[in-house]
Amino acid sequence: MYFIEARNISKGYGSFKALDRVSLQVRKGEIYGIIGPDGAGKTTLFRILTTLMLFDNGNAEVEGFDVVRDYVKIRRIIGYMPGHFSLYEDLSVEENLDFFATIFGSSVAAGYETVREIYSQLEPFRKRKAGKLSGGMKQKLALCCALIHKPSVLFLDEPTTGVDAISRKEFWNMLERIKAGGVTVLVSTPYMDEALLCDRISLIRQGRIIDSGTVDSIIERYPYSLLAVSGERIFPVLKILRQLKGVVSCFAFGTEHHVAVCKETVTVENIRQILVENGFADCAVRNISPGIEDCFMQLAGKE
Amino acid sequence: MVWIYLLEKEFKQFFRDPGLPKMLISFPLMMVLVFPFAVSMEVRNINLVVVDNSCSVTSERLIDKCVKSGYFRLVEKSSTPERAQYLMDINKADAILTISSDLEKQLAFGESLPVGIKVNTINGSKGSIAAGYLSNCISSFVAAENSGERLSAGNHIEVSTKFYYNKYMDYKVFMVPALIVIAITMITGFFPALNIVNEKEKGTIEQINVTPIRRSTFILCKLIPYWAVAFFILSSCLFIAWIVFGYTCAGSIFTLFVFTGLHIMVTAGLGLLISNYSDNAQQAMFMTWFFMMVFMLISGIFTPIASMPAWAQAITYLNPLRYYADAMRFVYLKGSTFFEVWYDALGLFLIGVAMMSWAILSYRKQE
Repeated sequence: MYFIEARNISKGYGSFKALDRVSLQVRKGEIYGIIGPDGAGKTTLFRILTTLMLFDNGNAEVEGFDVVRDYVKIRRIIGYMPGHFSLYEDLSVEENLDFFATIFGSSVAAGYETVREIYSQLEPFRKRKAGKLSGGMKQKLALCCALIHKPSVLFLDEPTTGVDAISRKEFWNMLERIKAGGVTVLVSTPYMDEALLCDRISLIRQGRIIDSGTVDSIIERYPYSLLAVSGERIFPVLKILRQLKGVVSCFAFGTEHHVAVCKETVTVENIRQILVENGFADCAVRNISPGIEDCFMQLAGKE
Repeated sequence: MVWIYLLEKEFKQFFRDPGLPKMLISFPLMMVLVFPFAVSMEVRNINLVVVDNSCSVTSERLIDKCVKSGYFRLVEKSSTPERAQYLMDINKADAILTISSDLEKQLAFGESLPVGIKVNTINGSKGSIAAGYLSNCISSFVAAENSGERLSAGNHIEVSTKFYYNKYMDYKVFMVPALIVIAITMITGFFPALNIVNEKEKGTIEQINVTPIRRSTFILCKLIPYWAVAFFILSSCLFIAWIVFGYTCAGSIFTLFVFTGLHIMVTAGLGLLISNYSDNAQQAMFMTWFFMMVFMLISGIFTPIASMPAWAQAITYLNPLRYYADAMRFVYLKGSTFFEVWYDALGLFLIGVAMMSWAILSYRKQE
């Protein structure tokens, strides 16, 4: 029995297919990541699961409640933090928290333990208007407001987009603590490196889920050997590598190229020799293990 | 409990808004103290140029009578018609009165009137009113001259005018109820629409939608503060009009409140419709503008409906402002009871029901 389960959900906006037969299984008490680039359908999926949007086909349940039929029951047990800041900017920190606690039929006192750790950082500013807070503080307040009614599942739609590296790290630490409190967390992000912080993930692209599982299991399924090529004049090399037999794909990854090659047919030595023959003697070639981004590129290329 | 909290939030936001509370005070003040003067249709200070060819005592008396009527300001006595025409061309004269040289003779023999009137009709209503005033002055002058000299006229008919329901034909009294109508329409129709659209635009409605709060509860709590404001404005307008001008409502104030309540139902429906069909404040503003302009121009507030062409009159039956303004004037000026203006109540009620049903049908709980 999964905590959140979606089966073959499809949703189109006119002729554009935002979601195409998406299935998802989230276990109780885990941090589950939906990882994909902008426009992949992450927000649409979140809006469907939080009962804000109807869909064309399929069905979905949250804690056993159908998202269409039992939407009222679902709304009592979920916390949702949309991608953009959406609290009342003209109400103070305290008033926002109080407001959201009250409309869930709860009170700040009743939910205080859940948010104490995060809210303690906001406490000095509790009289300040929400609109006057810094970006990081706004995010913490939004998280508090989503948690104050003690939801059993938290939906976070791109919570770390546009947040600096330190705040991002801090935010993921908070998620770990929320998870420790027994809350299931479904989080979406365009940053591949954040996949490692989730218990399990789904990779989503152009409305389709291209793979799901733990990060390790997805990496294990990577079918090729991966080589990293680095050197001084790196861009002309790209063209040569792509023409080679046995090379499946070649992408620029920062200052390096990641070259996916068929196992056993091409080795580090082969590549190095070919590069020397073409006058790129200064290039270094080494074997590397694939990351989640390599997996995403490989799976996306397969589609 | 949740209700109280939602209302508390709305009132907090209302009073924290940089503009709204100021508007709450200045709106009734402006509506009663400033606008009745500004929108007056009375024409005064008409610039008059006289071409006096008679230069007699009688012509002097005629000019004097016109100026003393209070509507005219004598610019100059021109010697030639060309000079007078020149003054009109450079916009220094609104009306030219030409007195012929044989004025006294003509008066004595009672032949055709020996004067000519020329008016500037760049501003149509001002021109025609000026012509009306001027010919009134002249005919009463002629009548006075004649009655002084020839009392024998047996078939002499004197017409006197008496104004009912607005004894001194004071335009301000006439405008006070109409301006209340405009204020209430703005406050209860368009401000809540903008408020709801604002929550849409900022995304806060998203956060509300995932809560167990019913959307109808949420929206109703948004409307109620504006209703309170509307009744506050109605009361303060009536109060200021009484304190400052001494105007009182001829009918029952309770009836005014009943009609305001009916009208609020219409504007609430309209506001919800606008908010349903717009995603951002610009769209809402544009729609608001469109409806406001149309409603005001064909409401009978500024121009009488009876003088509109038949097709325009037909359109006014769809305009809620027509019924509300009509009822407010009848009750305020004439003292009509609710049952005497039942047709206005019916019109408002029908439009209100139609708007509300459309608003409820067009709004979906989930996208």
